[in-house]
Amino acid sequence: MSAKTLLVAQLFVVAMFIGAYALSSSHARQTVRTNILGDDYYEPVPVVRNEPLKARPLYNRPDLVSDEDLAAVLSQIQPRFDARHMKPNHIEHALRTWGVHATFQNPEAVSGETMLRFLTDTASFTDSWGIDAEPLLIDHPEGVEIRYGEMQGASYHHDHWLACCTEAGATLDTPIFTPGRRNWTLGDVLQQSLRDFRLDERETEWTAMGFALWIAPEKEWTGSDGRQYSFDLLSTRLMRGEKQIGVCSGTHRVYSLMLLLQLDEEHDILSDEAEVVIMDYLRSVRDAIMASQFPDGHWPSNWPDGADAVANPVNDELYKQVIATGHHIEWLSIAPKELHPPEEQIKKAIDWVVATTKEQSRQDIRDRYTFFSHVGAALANWRQVHPAEFWHDWEAEHPWQPEPATADTSAEIDATTPVKTD
Amino acid sequence: MASESNSPSVETATPVPSPEGKRTTYLLPDGTPDASVLQDRTPRQLKLSRGATVLIAVIGLLFTFFSYLPLWHTDLWGHLSYGRWIVEHGVPTTEPLMPLDAGVPFNDLAWLSQVIGFNIYSQFGVPGIQFVSAICIASVLALFGGAIYNRTGNVFAAIATMAFLLVIASQQFFVGLMLVPRPQLAGMVCFATTFVLGTSLSRRWWHLPAIFVTFALWGNLHGSFVVGIVTLGALTVGRYVDFSWRVKNAAAGWSDPQFRHLLLATELAVVAVLLSPYGIGVYGEALSVAGNANVRDLVEWEPLTLRMLQGKFAAAAGLLIVVLYRFSPRRISVSELLLLIGLGALALWTSRMIVWWAPVVAYYIGLHLAAATKCWFNPARHQPVRAGLNTVVALGLCWIYFAYSPFGVVLLHGPPDSPEVAATRFRKTVSPQTPVELTNWLNENEIPSGQVFNCSEWGDYLLWAGPEGMQLFVSSHVHLTPEEVWTDYRQISWGLTGDWRNKLDRYGVNTVIMDKMLHSDMIEGMRGLEDWERAYEDRLGAVFVRRHPI
Repeated sequence: MSAKTLLVAQLFVVAMFIGAYALSSSHARQTVRTNILGDDYYEPVPVVRNEPLKARPLYNRPDLVSDEDLAAVLSQIQPRFDARHMKPNHIEHALRTWGVHATFQNPEAVSGETMLRFLTDTASFTDSWGIDAEPLLIDHPEGVEIRYGEMQGASYHHDHWLACCTEAGATLDTPIFTPGRRNWTLGDVLQQSLRDFRLDERETEWTAMGFALWIAPEKEWTGSDGRQYSFDLLSTRLMRGEKQIGVCSGTHRVYSLMLLLQLDEEHDILSDEAEVVIMDYLRSVRDAIMASQFPDGHWPSNWPDGADAVANPVNDELYKQVIATGHHIEWLSIAPKELHPPEEQIKKAIDWVVATTKEQSRQDIRDRYTFFSHVGAALANWRQVHPAEFWHDWEAEHPWQPEPATADTSAEIDATTPVKTD
Repeated sequence: MASESNSPSVETATPVPSPEGKRTTYLLPDGTPDASVLQDRTPRQLKLSRGATVLIAVIGLLFTFFSYLPLWHTDLWGHLSYGRWIVEHGVPTTEPLMPLDAGVPFNDLAWLSQVIGFNIYSQFGVPGIQFVSAICIASVLALFGGAIYNRTGNVFAAIATMAFLLVIASQQFFVGLMLVPRPQLAGMVCFATTFVLGTSLSRRWWHLPAIFVTFALWGNLHGSFVVGIVTLGALTVGRYVDFSWRVKNAAAGWSDPQFRHLLLATELAVVAVLLSPYGIGVYGEALSVAGNANVRDLVEWEPLTLRMLQGKFAAAAGLLIVVLYRFSPRRISVSELLLLIGLGALALWTSRMIVWWAPVVAYYIGLHLAAATKCWFNPARHQPVRAGLNTVVALGLCWIYFAYSPFGVVLLHGPPDSPEVAATRFRKTVSPQTPVELTNWLNENEIPSGQVFNCSEWGDYLLWAGPEGMQLFVSSHVHLTPEEVWTDYRQISWGLTGDWRNKLDRYGVNTVIMDKMLHSDMIEGMRGLEDWERAYEDRLGAVFVRRHPI
């Protein structure tokens, strides 16, 4: 074999490789990049908006929720937190409920802007937790991860930070200040979250919301593991398993599913088959809560058991009843009437949760802030009003008066004892 | 030229005049036909030596034996299921059959094996699969044994090579006395072809096209083509070093025709595998499986150790070849060392790779054994005598072997007449651990819809023969299972660790199907659960269903 033949052979080989690379699918090329060059599969998902989409409350029902009741509940859930050791989980819930533009006449209450800064600026977080605390925001080469779990000073659930900031109306270009860099934005948190997502992780409720409110009308993306994700797949995951198992007695996934369905109406993020399956699932939820409501109006934590939950009641603590009832009326506020139980049942549930919230001491509210914050959000939804806007108007007419000092208000929250709250 | 073995003496064969005085060349004095006057007109290329005939007889016997072995119940049915899916939908890009694996990227490098397997099974049933598997193993033995015989003329060395190959890699071919039919067998045939062509002393015009075709097929039959490329690469590098060393010139290797031939062969191999529906993606996919975290939990992917039977065999083979090096007059080539050390290291890393080291070490054992024995007993090599009669005998044996194989029986006499006979025959031709009765029960009875939790060993058969649309948890293709799902599967089925019952609830499992051989603890655990009831049980396993399905 001559040197010339050998040279021609080399050219042939190179040409074949170039041709194969050019003709192969993007997936095949990515397979090579990932497994040979150590790259990952993730391609940033395009986001076409700077302001997130919002869940759309469908009803304005003063007959169900009066101004006075709404004001009483919102008054209870004003974000009055000690500056020291502010729990990200509490702040996330408060921010989600009140929004980034919230202001309060009560000087104890933390404004939306301050809450957002606490969550997005490591310096602000350190002011509260000290320099020795593990930061909430973690630098990665390609984006920002949020530390989550049961550790001190961490967000409690995966992607809860993202979903809450999104629901609060934070924009995509919101600056994020990590311990190492100052030029990240909320968009980088979103992309890192899309990159890190695993379908079979423990909780996907907030992931579904965070993603859908930003990336719609994109409906599919590839994770760093190469898996092809879609909102169809996410909704299947949300519906997997025993209904009660899931955050807040399984009610969060109902809300997430309802939100996906609502966003699908405008942005077509689900297949027709998935829509049908989700509707069937939500109908089954409706049937379960129709049968499981107690005479006083509350729903128990084992609401999926239907009538059996009433016949054989479990020994629920009050906060569990607040969780179930508050969360159910929240998702019902964005659900079509077809998915509603009879109106008198909704009315009874609202009355019960309003009365229960009003009865709580300030310390009770502090201890279980996360659950009661959902009550406020749900009631405002039933009036098609944003809590911050309503409260602003309300305070204009009913200016804040300092409360008389009591032992209760001076009570310190023991920040070292983690309270499992959602 | 008359056959040496069958030629009567010259004296006996001398033509004699007939009573009428005319010479005849056909009869002996006693009136019997005179074979000595017959001429062997068989074309030279078709004539076989006696040694080759013996070799064919041995390989054929082994083939017949293999073709009677029942089929092991794990991978096979999964591959057939993928074959069935591909025939209906085309090659997949994401895992298509397992609900929990939805969206997981899947470049199915064995798609052609699966389609061929599915078509064979559809036409001929289990005997067809037994036949193809036995043919693959026999072909590998024939290629390596034949190469040794061709090179040394020593039929005993050739048989020894085959024996060593079979023993060292036995656990890759068989589980007990059961065949493990996998696309890997097709890969082994390609490997054997590559190795034989790559180590051939003569360079024929058709070798390079043959390499190209082999790798074009290999890239579609099994992901192991990388081993073939590495092998050709080692042979090429080894040849360069050997040649350059011999002439004491580091650059001399470039001008060696054999080196150039091997270099071109390697390059053709590298290019040929691109002729796949996945194009350039075949390289990425081929490297991804071995690095998958889930497969580390499987015994066959564990590092090779002396505690394993095949580890003991490998150690013995390694020791033997070192001893043979001491006694063999044959020079040890650099290629040989590169292959033995390289593939050996691969086998130590993960025991499944022994399937590539075994034939190579067996080949070199055979080569050096022949050299050593020649040195000790018979220094002069005689050219083996070839005869058409040997060919006839070999062909006759091949026909007998084929006709007596289960596949031959089906082909010649047709499939069983009644479904009962077919069912009985099927039961005998698959492993006793195949959940045939349990699957029949699943098909005849209604189980709650929704997620099924099954043992991975049965996932493939349930996928193939179970109720349509059954949502299985795992199968033997664990590298496609998301890590979180696999971890949960292990915790539930292998140790009942953590909150395993809660995990069943989280996945919405309504049916549990478990085997008794490996998961008896889980079955016992299920018996104690109030909200579950046993719906079926036989000697192999049990089915539990949730009293109030999710």
